[in-house]
Parts: sequence; structure tokens; C-alpha cells
Amino acid sequence: MADSAGAPRPSSSVKLVLLGEAAVGKSSLVLRFVNNDFQENKEPTIGAAFLTQKCNLPTRTIKFEIWDTAGQERFASLAPMYYRNAQAALVVYDLTKPTSLIKAKHWVAELQRQASPGIVIALVGNKLDLTNASAAAGGNSEDEDEESSGAAGGDGGDESGDARKISTEEAKTYAEEESLLFFETSAKTGHNVSEVFTAIANAIPETSLKSTRGPGASNAVSRGGDEQRVNLTGPRGDAAKDSCAC
Amino acid sequence: MESLGDEPWDVVICGTGLQQSLLALALSRSKKRILHTDPNDYYGQNEAALTLQDAESFAAKHAGGASSEADEKSVIRNAAVWKPDDAEAQGLKFPRAYSLALAPQIIHTKSKLLSSLVSSRAYRQVEFLAVGSFFVYEPAKDGSDPKLSRIPSSREDVFSSQSIPARSKRSLMKFLKFVLDFESDEQKPIWEGHADAPLTDFLTAQFKLEDDLKRYVVALTMALDGKASVRSGLAAINRHLTSMGTFGPGFCAVYPKWGGLSEIAQVACRAGAVGGGIYMLDTSATVKPSGETEKASLELPNNITVETSSIISGQETTTGVQAISRLVAVVKSPLSSLFQVLVEGAPTPAVAVVALPSTPSPIYALVHSSDTGECPVGQCVVYLTTLATTDSKHGLEQALTMLIKAVEGEESTASCLYQLYYQQAIGDRKSTTENHGTTPAFSFPPLSATLAFEDTDLEAVKTAWSLVLGDESDEETYLVFEDREGADAEDEVYE
Repeated sequence: MADSAGAPRPSSSVKLVLLGEAAVGKSSLVLRFVNNDFQENKEPTIGAAFLTQKCNLPTRTIKFEIWDTAGQERFASLAPMYYRNAQAALVVYDLTKPTSLIKAKHWVAELQRQASPGIVIALVGNKLDLTNASAAAGGNSEDEDEESSGAAGGDGGDESGDARKISTEEAKTYAEEESLLFFETSAKTGHNVSEVFTAIANAIPETSLKSTRGPGASNAVSRGGDEQRVNLTGPRGDAAKDSCAC
Repeated sequence: MESLGDEPWDVVICGTGLQQSLLALALSRSKKRILHTDPNDYYGQNEAALTLQDAESFAAKHAGGASSEADEKSVIRNAAVWKPDDAEAQGLKFPRAYSLALAPQIIHTKSKLLSSLVSSRAYRQVEFLAVGSFFVYEPAKDGSDPKLSRIPSSREDVFSSQSIPARSKRSLMKFLKFVLDFESDEQKPIWEGHADAPLTDFLTAQFKLEDDLKRYVVALTMALDGKASVRSGLAAINRHLTSMGTFGPGFCAVYPKWGGLSEIAQVACRAGAVGGGIYMLDTSATVKPSGETEKASLELPNNITVETSSIISGQETTTGVQAISRLVAVVKSPLSSLFQVLVEGAPTPAVAVVALPSTPSPIYALVHSSDTGECPVGQCVVYLTTLATTDSKHGLEQALTMLIKAVEGEESTASCLYQLYYQQAIGDRKSTTENHGTTPAFSFPPLSATLAFEDTDLEAVKTAWSLVLGDESDEETYLVFEDREGADAEDEVYE
């Protein structure tokens, strides 16, 4: 999708945080989005501070800085700095595991308390490949995504081989009540994954994207942005080493 | 839920105070199995930043005072919160709109803490703000109202100052020049003989500084007893002057946005988690008796027992008698005149330092604008500190009123919306190590109860690091890390 030709589009950094119960596939979704890769039986997340991935929209480029929980969600030990300045959040549940939606609702409430007021929240039911809808969705072209997701809700999931425990309808209704974006995905097949991020990118209000470094950019300390920020590594850091105020 | 108790841990860190958290950062690439717990449901312990709700439970937990022996020895004591009955009507916002720092220390730009955060790549997640002007409170005299005088903080500043007479300027310039290389062989003989004498006498004898200027110099030492010795005073002024300009014009120190050292503790713990450490807030760990040849075990809630090869914690009691009193006040005024940009190209300061005369010891106020993220716009947070006496709470409250009136005038209606008061013991600042079976248990001393972060507080972190790593510890790798994948700050940016 990259277009190297033509004038560069304005680019903005967006801090996106992942939330959700352990083992619902948070990291897998990001891995699919960033590297188009999937690892079966992935170990709990270690070593991923955050990943970055660009999302090209017709008029601008959004550079997601995706923060993983680093496992701190397991014992409810996420720090306020994790939520801070996040412009987007991906709240993930496992649609084969009812408790994970309860947990997701808890995270949404937490975000509404702790995060910036304008944050864009997407509720994502993952592991669609374990449901009957996967038969339709997995092998099909992207054009039918909407349809197959919708159909899954209608079916109710009684047939054999369908591990779905949370109906599309239930989650969707909740998402609408709370004004969340809503998707059902499979990190394994890649179904709907890039759509989630594109939808988030589109939903970020233009006003919060003024500078190349958005207000939430984690590494904004290294570039302009707010006039009051102090840069610990810029040219001054070296040049001024031997000098003093006098 | 994973079984925490199955395999022994290499280290269990109890508490997420700054030093424990920096240790977790230092060990974050070591492949050690680390369990990091904190009895509170927030990060930072005595360096935490508290919402008003947290402040209330903090005050309840540390309310004890001189009445019981146990409380007398605890590092934090006599805590209390106060707010006017109609605080909300007056403008107090919801509890999470506030982040009151228990450790509002300013960090000099030359501090090792900053260079360690840079070399360990943890700095990327912290926003640093500039500490701006230093002021001295001038009581009313000759019919004029009380006011705050700004202390000139560099030689250019002294030069352009309108308020200092020419002759005094020369003496002050001479003194500043001397301080800049006071440790050189040329200058040492001038002060070494008086190293432990009061700085203020030395200023009179050697530099003939007048009283007003002496008050400026003494205020800049930020000595809580107001009686800096020649040695410590010169070192403090030297640090102040040589820190100016390191990261930009017009400031000598920085402050981490959103609650000071708390923010650094959180970022360091996140680095620990990214490295595979397991984090459990709201979890107290107690040592279980063990045989002499066994590893120690710790008991966690829900009858979970874990074995560990080392235990790191922080001292929560102290034998020190001396304490400081702290008053954290949310004020319904931005006190904007304290946060002016005075040098071209300087960042807007978010912190101002004010020294107020008081007996028996001075009172210092660190005033934080809403840029610190510690309070809503239109308000500010004032952190007042003095040496504890039986009457120090009252003294701090008075100082707050004096400060507000000096900034806003006698008619000021700026009121205090919320107060957190507590005393913090000045420990003997020595780490301790004991053994439980074959397991060493290391304990950090409380952080220095100073207004500026002291690099000596970092020494115990390195000691603990060596203790945990043993033979594997390689000084060269201490807090020196590569960026992790994905943390590329400087890749292509479209302008």
C-alpha cells in the first residue's frame, strides 16, 4: 500500500494501548497487524515494549505506537503511565470465553476513568477461527467480511464444532451503548485485523493530530511537540556538556 | 492463573519505591526470574503520586503519631488530609484529576539519575519539565507589601539585575566565579580551613556579601536547616550553577511530569515487566522462617508460598529521630507569575522554588503549575517542607498563606482546596543485609529527605544489583541497554 511517489502525506504518531484478559490474543493481533505473522501457542508476552506500524489513509499517515501490557494486566498491576496520553485503545476479549468479555467491560470502564477523554476505544472479539463463522470467513475474500461476521451473530452457534460463547449481538449491543468501535477478528487467519486498525485510524479526530508527534507520542521528548518539554538527548545534551551558565 | 510457587525465584523485590524500581530496571535484561510485589494498589510507595482517593487511604494508614512506639519508628507518620466543607463548590475537581507527589524532588540536569535513564533507554517514556526560578520571600518593610524576589541564577542574570547595587554585584560575581571551581587546587585553600563552619559567616568574611545577597546564596543551597556548612553549601551552589544550560537555556533542574519520582518508578517497573518480571500490586509478602541450609520462602496472600534466592525490600522503620514535615496543598489559582519564561528559547517552567524565612528553620515551597499534570488548569499544587517540630504543621499553613498573598496581593481570594500533611523520618541512610537461611535479604534505606534528588541514593541500587547478580555482574552493563525492537524514535518523520 506504500506509495513512495507523490508528495508525502502528513504523518502523525498515535499511542495505542492494548487491554484485555491474559491469553485472549492481544499480542497476536498486533503481530498479525505489524508483521502479518501468527505463532501458535505463543508464550505470554515478554520483551515487547512496544511496536510501531504505519497505517496509510487517503489523506494522511498514522503511525501507531502500540504498547503491549508486558503482562502487567495479569495481576491488575498496570500503571497509570500506561494509559496516559493514549489516543486509542484496543480492548480484546476471546469470543469463546465469557469471562473475558466481563474483563473487557472492566477495562473499558477503567479507560473511561483513567484515559484522556477523547480516546478512541475498539472492542475486539478475537479467535473467530474457533467459531463456525470461520469456515465462511477464513477462506473468503475480504469483501464478505461484514457479511460473515453478521451471519455468525444470527446463527447463535449451536452447531457442533462452534466454540463461540459470546454472540455478536451481545457484544455489539454493549459496544454501541458505550460508543466503541466493534470487530470480531481472527489473529490466526488475519480476518478483520487490518480493518480494526484502519477504523481506529479513521476515528482519531483530526484535531488531536496537529504535529508529527501527537500529544500522546511516547517518545515525543525527543522532538518538538510541547514547548515546555525538555529533551535529554538533543544536540544541546552533547554540545553543552563542557560549558556552564557562565 | 499461573502457579507462582512452582519454581524458585531468583529474586523477589518487595515494594515499588524508586530504588526497588530502578533495581528492576537494572535487572530487566538479566534473564533472572523476578517477582516484584507492592503492598499498595499503586506504584511508588513513599515516592508515589496519589489521587485524592489514594491520599485519603495513605493518610489513614500513616495517621499514627508519637502515641505508639511502632508509629514513632515508621518512616511516614502523623499524616492527615483536610479540605473545606464546600471544596467541590469552590472548584475541587474529581479525585483522579489530581496526582499529589510524595517525592517532589527536583532533579539537577547533571544528576546520574538522568544519565542512567538515558543509557537504559527508559527516559523515552518520561516527559521532563523545566524547573524555573528560585525566589526568596521578602517580608513587608517600610510600608511596602511582602513580595517574592527572584534570585539571579547565572552571571548574566546578576549582570542584568536591576535590584542589586553595582558594588554588591562585583562581590557576588567574585563569589560565583570562585564557586565554579571551588574544588580546584587554587581555590581549595580559601575554604578548606573553614569547611565545617557556617557558609553564611564565610560569605561575610571572604566575599563581604551583604545580608540580602547572603540570603539568596543560602536559599540556593536548599539546606532544610538553613545552616549549610561551607563544604556542603559550596557543593550545592556549584551544582546549581554548573547544571544551568545543560539541556537548554534558563534552567538547572528538571521534573518528571505527572508526579515526579513516581513516574520514574512506574517506567522502571514497566521495563522490568517487559523484561519478563511478574508484577503484583496490592500484595504483601512476608518472610517465613526457614532452615539454615534452605532458601527463604515468602508468603503471599491466598496461601501462596514462593521460594527465592534473594529478597530485596525497603526499610519502613527507622531509628532516626529527625523528621521533616510536608504539606501538600492544592491552591485555587495558577500563580502564573511564578512560571514566566525569562530567557529566550527556554521551555516554560512548571516548577518554581520559594524559600520562606521561619524559625527555627526555613520553609521551602516547591510550586507546581498545572503543566505538571498534577492538578487541573487554573490551580496549582504547593509542596511545603520544613524540619519537623511540634508546631511545624501550623508553620507550614502560615507559610502557604504568606506565599499566596505575596504572589497575588493582600486581597487575594485564592483559597486552599485540599491539603495533605505528613511527617517523613530522615533515616540514617544505610542499607542493611541479613540472611534468611541461604537467602540474603537486602533492604534499601529511605530516600534522602531533600528538596533535590541526591545521587548518593543511587548507590544502594547498584549494591543490590551486584548482590542479585553475583559473579554475573559486569559494571560496564549496569543500566546500559540498547533500545528494544520497535522503540525507534528517529525513523522517517514527514514534516
